[in-house]
Amino acid sequence: MTDSATLAEEREQLFKDLLSGKTPKRVPVSNPATLEYAIQYYGEDLATAQWDVPSLEPILDKFCQDFPTDTTPIGSLRLPAYYQILGSKAIVMGSGGFMQHPEVMGLLAEEYDDFIAAPYDFIVDTVLPRLYTELDAEPSHKAMTLAKALKAQQDDYGYLGQIRSRINAKHGLTAPMVALTEAPFDFMADFLRSFKGISSDVRRHPDKVVAACEAVLPLMVKKGKLPVPGALGFSFIPLHMAPYMRNKDFEKFYWPTFKKLVEELVAMGQNVQLFVESDWMRYLDYLNELPENTIMRFEYGDPKLVADKLGKKHILSGFYPVTILQTGTKEQCVDKAKELMDILAPTGKYWFQADKSIISTDAEGKVAENLFAVLDYTMNNGSY
Amino acid sequence: MVDSQVLKQAVGDLDEEAVLKMLDEFIATNPNGEEANKVVNACQQGMAIVGDLYEEGEYFVGDLIFAGELLSTAIDKLKPVLGGDHTGNVAKIVLGTVEGDLHDIGKNIFGSMAEAAGFEVVDLGIDVPASAFVEKIKEVKPDIVGMSGVLTLALDAMKGTVDAIKTAGLRDDVKIIIGGNPVTEDACKQIGADAFTTNAAEAVKTCQGWVK
Repeated sequence: MTDSATLAEEREQLFKDLLSGKTPKRVPVSNPATLEYAIQYYGEDLATAQWDVPSLEPILDKFCQDFPTDTTPIGSLRLPAYYQILGSKAIVMGSGGFMQHPEVMGLLAEEYDDFIAAPYDFIVDTVLPRLYTELDAEPSHKAMTLAKALKAQQDDYGYLGQIRSRINAKHGLTAPMVALTEAPFDFMADFLRSFKGISSDVRRHPDKVVAACEAVLPLMVKKGKLPVPGALGFSFIPLHMAPYMRNKDFEKFYWPTFKKLVEELVAMGQNVQLFVESDWMRYLDYLNELPENTIMRFEYGDPKLVADKLGKKHILSGFYPVTILQTGTKEQCVDKAKELMDILAPTGKYWFQADKSIISTDAEGKVAENLFAVLDYTMNNGSY
Repeated sequence: MVDSQVLKQAVGDLDEEAVLKMLDEFIATNPNGEEANKVVNACQQGMAIVGDLYEEGEYFVGDLIFAGELLSTAIDKLKPVLGGDHTGNVAKIVLGTVEGDLHDIGKNIFGSMAEAAGFEVVDLGIDVPASAFVEKIKEVKPDIVGMSGVLTLALDAMKGTVDAIKTAGLRDDVKIIIGGNPVTEDACKQIGADAFTTNAAEAVKTCQGWVK
């Protein structure tokens, strides 16, 4: 077996163990910096490169060479072609080339009843044309646009998949499969009612919000299902609204359908990874109720407290504050990694990922230097 | 006449139904501008209660957003009876989400709370290049510049914007506050801002401290 094949096998075993709740041989490490960062780090234009998928291969190759970790450092890259063909308002490119999700509203407050009665039909007929302006057209034009967009999406992501396989084979990386979904309340906020809209709805139309979350739950379960049952991978659920709600609102609107979502996905034999965005410290007891071996990547909070409360049951990750790479010295950056390793590795189920993704380079190049030092440390000192 | 204390408390409680009912009854009495200003004032004091409850951990961001909605509905209702006789503004703030970033929720919360506290807010919107900040500062001569961002790339854009303000020779004319998910004390120092925050209510207090 080649060296890279042996490496790939070892790394796959790390994740097999981690996801099944066994303590792996060492702490698996993922790069906090994404392909967007790499594109800029190697001097390419982010906006242009995302249109030219084959151009990403040498970039990813160099990135894996220069910053070795266990997984493919692609991140949740959103390739722009199909968004543009659809006239997307929900995912838009910013002036620096980074694709992001602005505040949008696909459902009006007075439409809740229709939505609740048939959420899938309502999304297809009403929400999609609002959020994707090119679908707001005659059926023939709509069909053609959708066909073009899906062709572009399959071409781009298909090619990216091939790149990933080649790079993984070359560098001996592992890439757990991912299916993205959202907590029902977050889906209602992010794509249907907007942050502002849902924040008013919980006071003005509480019963409808509850009913709408229940109505979209089956869609969210379906979206989170891995394409290959039993494959090494997880449903990825980036959590959004809970930290911005009062506890009693969280209990009523957010938690019931979110918990059901995770339980249903786990019942299908999958792992679930949560990106625990913002500060969830007041909800730790709830998180503890989720099925065993849920991966929780934290953005903020007290790692000691989290290790004590959740470390026996769940797989912990996150916390490493990437802004320190821009503001700190190399020593401070490595010390921080060591501190987290000392707190979280003793749980036996720790995966090194950062609190946020690094998506852009800094003018002075400090991030790259510090990042290298931190990854070098974590890859070589991750004993449990 | 409205009982200012009751109205203030209803705004603080975010009891929309009660607030709107009181305002409708008030408007039906055909009040003059001075009376209307007192009512606006009570609403603003109610927003201060909201800010305090937020800092105490009783309210969260979603409640602040709803408070902003409630206040703008209230002011819209009162506009016809307010006439031109509006309360004097404390000071001016030029506000925007920095270049490369499209997120505006935090910025909008801060903007509406600052307005409620009597600031005049000039909102440049999202993905605002440094040059647009500089132009607007020259034009409206604000006391304070507020920069917002959610993505980590915003830190670099904030630094670029402060540098551009310095280059334009305007840095000493304004106080600069940065806000949003990635800001920290160290980032604030590197960027060269005067204050940083992840808390809109606290930010309004900082701004009030500057223009006392």
